[in-house]
Amino acid sequence: MRLPDSVTGSFLVVLGAAAAYGGWRLPPVPGQPVGPNVFPLVIGTGLALCGLAIVFGIGHSFEEEEELIPVEEGQARAAPTGRFYGLRALLPPALLLFYVVAADRLGFIITAALIVLATSTALGAKWKLALPLAALAPIGIHLIFAKLLRVPLPAGLLPMPW
Amino acid sequence: MLNTLIEAFRLISTWEVIVAMFAASVYGLVIGSLPGLSATMATALLVPVTFYLSPIAAIATIVAASSMAIFSGDIPGALLRIPGTPASAAYADEAYAMTMKGEAELALGAGVWFSAVGGIAGVVSLMALAPPLAEIALSFSTFEYFWLALLGLMCATLVARSSPVKAIAGMFIGLLVSCIGIENPGGVPRFTFGLTDLLGGIEPIPALVGVFAVAQVMRAMLTPEPPPIPRRKFGSIMAGQWTLTKKYHWQMTRGNIIGIIIGVLPGAGADMAAWVSYAMSKRFSKEPEKFGTGHVEGLVEAGASNNASIASGWVPSLLFGIPGDTIAAIAIGVLYMKGLNPGPTLFTEKASSMYAIYLMFIIANILMIPLGIAMIRIAAYVLRAPRSTVMPVIMLCCAVGSFAIGNNMFGVVTVAAFGVIGYVMEANGYPVAAMVLGIVMGTMVEQAFVTSLIKSDGSILPFFERPVAAILAAMAIGALLWPVMLWIWRKVKPAQTTSAAAAR
Repeated sequence: MRLPDSVTGSFLVVLGAAAAYGGWRLPPVPGQPVGPNVFPLVIGTGLALCGLAIVFGIGHSFEEEEELIPVEEGQARAAPTGRFYGLRALLPPALLLFYVVAADRLGFIITAALIVLATSTALGAKWKLALPLAALAPIGIHLIFAKLLRVPLPAGLLPMPW
Repeated sequence: MLNTLIEAFRLISTWEVIVAMFAASVYGLVIGSLPGLSATMATALLVPVTFYLSPIAAIATIVAASSMAIFSGDIPGALLRIPGTPASAAYADEAYAMTMKGEAELALGAGVWFSAVGGIAGVVSLMALAPPLAEIALSFSTFEYFWLALLGLMCATLVARSSPVKAIAGMFIGLLVSCIGIENPGGVPRFTFGLTDLLGGIEPIPALVGVFAVAQVMRAMLTPEPPPIPRRKFGSIMAGQWTLTKKYHWQMTRGNIIGIIIGVLPGAGADMAAWVSYAMSKRFSKEPEKFGTGHVEGLVEAGASNNASIASGWVPSLLFGIPGDTIAAIAIGVLYMKGLNPGPTLFTEKASSMYAIYLMFIIANILMIPLGIAMIRIAAYVLRAPRSTVMPVIMLCCAVGSFAIGNNMFGVVTVAAFGVIGYVMEANGYPVAAMVLGIVMGTMVEQAFVTSLIKSDGSILPFFERPVAAILAAMAIGALLWPVMLWIWRKVKPAQTTSAAAAR
């Protein structure tokens, strides 16, 4: 997901301009010199200026120093094994959205089991490990959050006895 | 004073607080020791649990979990050369070199002992600094608050280990996020795009969970699993620590002081404290050539420093609602939720709660010694847990926890969205901590800014008229212009800077 600075900088220019425009269109408070529009205008302008600075490489020289700091664990990348390898990173947010869509219909236990199964197999767990984990982890979490902390988790197709 | 102290003791000596503190300590030790799971993440995932606790127990869990996690990050650093939290990354190589020399006990013992000492030094600073600062803060008007908040935001960008422009951009993104909702001077829906879910704005806690937890799971999807830890028997862990304390008492003190100063600066937390102290230790050491070969001196100083910063990071949080670091940002959220609104009046109106917080910090740091030793002994078992079992549980906690914050599914969507935002920002060198501070402080900055403008009838001049406001303004503007000046300086003398960088 490493994008060139020109791309991220341009995005920030557009975002800043949009924010400033959105702020400018907000209705002012009658009889008051400043309203809800001032802050977005200031932020939008600042963001757009930062974006421009990034596009032109200002401040980039500060980043090279970071190379002197030893990389943390987890930052050393494995060689990508395919064109779509990078898309694997989108699995966690996709699973969270799946939770939003499915939890009310399927219930917490089934949805959570599917999420655990998908995450652990994607991280390289064998079926021998992933299946028991998918069976036990949702029950444990349900016990803590629904039983002890009284969070209303949807029962769906598989209600828990407690 | 004595009555307040007795009242504070009474507040913390309930079963709920004791159990919460013990459980959070064990939790913090385990999460902190697992590589890739930071102390901030441990604290963020705790927030939904704190909803269901009494105010003091809620704060106790945050205090205990964050202190323990910062220490336990040293364990995999020393045993595997993989720091558990970024704060331990500064000296992971050194600790590992000691393990290779057969001094694992000494390295880990120094971690636990000097962390505890540093933590207590941090509390002492909190106790000493906060009341006089609160006196001053009581005379602050919105002008001073505006500049102070701005200065806080600027500090956060200055200390980021990244391009200052990107850090400032990150901060603006956070401020923009804080604009969403109807909580604004006009009370009109702003940037809600017609969505009712956005009317209430973006809560900082789901944003934090997304940025620190979901983004980490996303990174784990692309990175190889760290190697399993070798099984080993440890000898006495605390042996030799007293000798080290006597030998390196000056380094320890200096580490504590640096940690306290860095902790008080908004945005710079334990990570920065550890890096600066380790570099400082090497710079002023009598035997700098030993650094990197398994020399304990840097460990003493950096270990003392990172835990000292944890407590002192609460100073600006409690006084002004300006977080000292990302952990303190979470703590502020919890304080608000529990009716302990940060501000100077907290010290007069809720003095017993304040003393209770001090006491809990001290207890957490004392508890760190026995629990830390136990954790080191069982580390081999905990660290063998494969990532493919830990990460799915983290995912579930993210989903359920973010749902629990508002009992609505929008929290889960927020967490997912901020996971992606955090991941993309981090991958492209935009510091996420700056964004988080922007989100947490946005409403406060806007309120101070707009109220001040209304008071001054749209004029900018009164922003500089009061003496304290003028000083704070000069500092904030200086902080804003500092990167520009540095950039010009580097353009003028490029050769000199390169040679200086090479020497470092």
